[in-house]
Formats: sequence, structure tokens, C-alpha cells
Amino acid sequence: MTALPAKDPARFAETRIGDEVVVMNLATGDFFSLEGAAAAIWELLDGRRDRAGAVAELAARFAGEPGEIAADLDRFVAELEEAGLLARG
Amino acid sequence: MGRPLAFQPAAPADAPAHPALAMLAAETRIRRGEAPLSVGGVAVAPGTWCLGREEFLLRAGEAITFYYRRGAGVLVDAPDDSDPRDIRLWREGTVHAAIAALNGLVPLHASAVAHDGQVYAFTGPAGAGKSTLVAALGKAGFAQFSDDTLILDPSALGAPLCLPGHKRTKLWPEGARLAGVEPGEQVASDYAKHVVEPAAGTAPGPLPLAALIELAVEDEPRFAPLGLGERIALLEGDHYTAQLWRAAAAQPRDLRFAELAALAGRIPMARFWRPFEASRFDAGVAAAARYIRGER
Repeated sequence: MTALPAKDPARFAETRIGDEVVVMNLATGDFFSLEGAAAAIWELLDGRRDRAGAVAELAARFAGEPGEIAADLDRFVAELEEAGLLARG
Repeated sequence: MGRPLAFQPAAPADAPAHPALAMLAAETRIRRGEAPLSVGGVAVAPGTWCLGREEFLLRAGEAITFYYRRGAGVLVDAPDDSDPRDIRLWREGTVHAAIAALNGLVPLHASAVAHDGQVYAFTGPAGAGKSTLVAALGKAGFAQFSDDTLILDPSALGAPLCLPGHKRTKLWPEGARLAGVEPGEQVASDYAKHVVEPAAGTAPGPLPLAALIELAVEDEPRFAPLGLGERIALLEGDHYTAQLWRAAAAQPRDLRFAELAALAGRIPMARFWRPFEASRFDAGVAAAARYIRGER
């Protein structure tokens, strides 16, 4: 079972209106707007899910083959890690 | 002690009913005197400003200095033969915005008109055509509310309230020609914009903000609503009004973000694309007029 990294609340502030989540990196002041699948993945990174479970939840909500969804999940998680928003380790 | 300046902001016929207006009227009283040249022990260079917790110092070049301290109004330190137009330009712009920011108000870089009891404000970088558009909307019957700086009172419930500031629209000669208005007095000794009279008069305030509209350029006029991230970005801009607001708030990033997000959530915002060619200026004005009237 592959664990999914979790958001690190000490590193960001967030706000939501409707389906849009806006996240600010507290270290840099950069902020990101997340909608659709990106916003959904962000919500799933709560430290309580594994990768397979997250893929299954996303597949139930969004169109696409599980393989494509998994690749999109991995890609976006890597972007969030690079942006410094996820817990290390 | 300073001596009163010959020119003072025009006092309303009656005492301002809104507390923020009364506060601004008191805090922006101006007098001549000797101003300090440092804030918190740090010298302020000519052509720069510094904002502290309770004070603001602007060195508008080598000869003119404005110093504001909360509760004590504004000192202007300038040679007796200074051009009053120069003093007025700085006072109505940067100084007014700084005082607003230090007193819990939000200065925006926007020019605005009023319609049906609400304010429609246009923002964008210098040269985007905000003042020209507002002047042209005046020809279309919309009363002018503000030029270049719009002060918000975010403490109101619901939509933030727009506070009336100075009513002088300032246009380059080309902008006056496009808008179909006659250029009047030059704004300042070394600033070649001209004051123009608003064709449909001015609107009293305070009035609620109906929309903040960012100007952009594209072949055909169209409007599109901004998402939350874009609205936050629009408020957290690079103009000196945003810099003053940030400096006055002096908040850690998470609180700043929360404040921006809260305000962005309360203000409908849109981007207005319109052609920039002079030959198509009127098409853009007509589209803006339809938007304001709700003919979308």
C-alpha cells in the first residue's frame, strides 16, 4: 500500500469559494488557484488515504481510465511537493 | 506648529454622516510647517515614502515633503513659491491613500462611475485607460465617482462602501480627445495631464461597490467574471496603493491572505477586454455602458 503525502498546514493558508480553492504558500507568498480535479486531489491529501484509495475516489468523480487518473495524481502531487506545500518525509 | 495652508480640501456643506468620512476629513487636514525627513530613525530619500505604524512620510522630490501622523493631520513642507498644483496632486493621491490605509480603509487603484446607487470601478496598470473610459462614460450619462484612487470602507456589512474622494479626472490630451471632453488646467507643473470636468457631474457617497473591473485588451469587447484566485491577485497588485495597504496592515502572511480572501469574496469582479485602437474606442465605451446598466 503506497501512502499518499499529506498537506502541511504550517506551510500554507487556504480559502474556498464554491468549487475553487486558493492556497497561499506562507514561505514565499505565492498563491495557487485549484479547481476541478486539482481541487479534489488537494482535499484528498489529508494524511488518511493511500494512493490506491485516492485513485478510486477520483475515478468515481471524474472521467478517465484509472491509469490516467493515477498518472495525473502523481504529477500533481509532485508539483505540490515542489511548491513546498506537503509534509516532508 | 504649522500654519494653515491656503488651500484646504473642500468641506462638505453638512458634517459627513459616515464615520469614515468624518475621520478622513479630520485626518487629512493640512498645514504648512517643517516636516521630519525620517521615520523611526531611518532617513527617507527624495522621491520615496515610508510608512510606520502611526505615521507616513513622503518626499515628493527634493523640495516638497508631506508628513502625516495619526491624530495630527498632514504637514506639508515646501517653499512658499511652490506650485499649489504640485502639492494638490500629491495630497489627493499618495498622501490620501496612505492616510486611508493607516486608518483601516482600503485604497484601490481605480477610477469609477456611479449608477443606480452603486459604484462601478475600473482598474488596471497606468496607461490602461481607466480615466479616459470614466470620462467617456460621463458623456454617456454616468456620474463620476472617483479618479485614480478609490477608497473602500471594508467594515460595512455586505458590499464594501466606496468613499468619495477628490473628483478631478486627469487625462492626457489624447485621452480627452478620445473621450470627447475639453482639457482644462494642467494638473501639475511637470505632469502634462489635464483636469477635465465630468460630463454627467459627480456622485455623492458613500455608495456600495457593485463591481471592480479589470481592463484588458482584445479585438472584441467582452466581460468575464474573475475567479477567487484572480480576484485576490487583483487586490494584491503592485501599484503604490496596494503597497501602502500592505505596509499599513503589517500582517503576517496568513492573516494578510485571510483579509485578502475575505475582501475578494465580497467584491464581484470581472475582466473587461476591449479594443485599444482609437478608432474603436466608442465600441468599448458602449460595451461598458451596457454592462453597467445590466444589459448583458
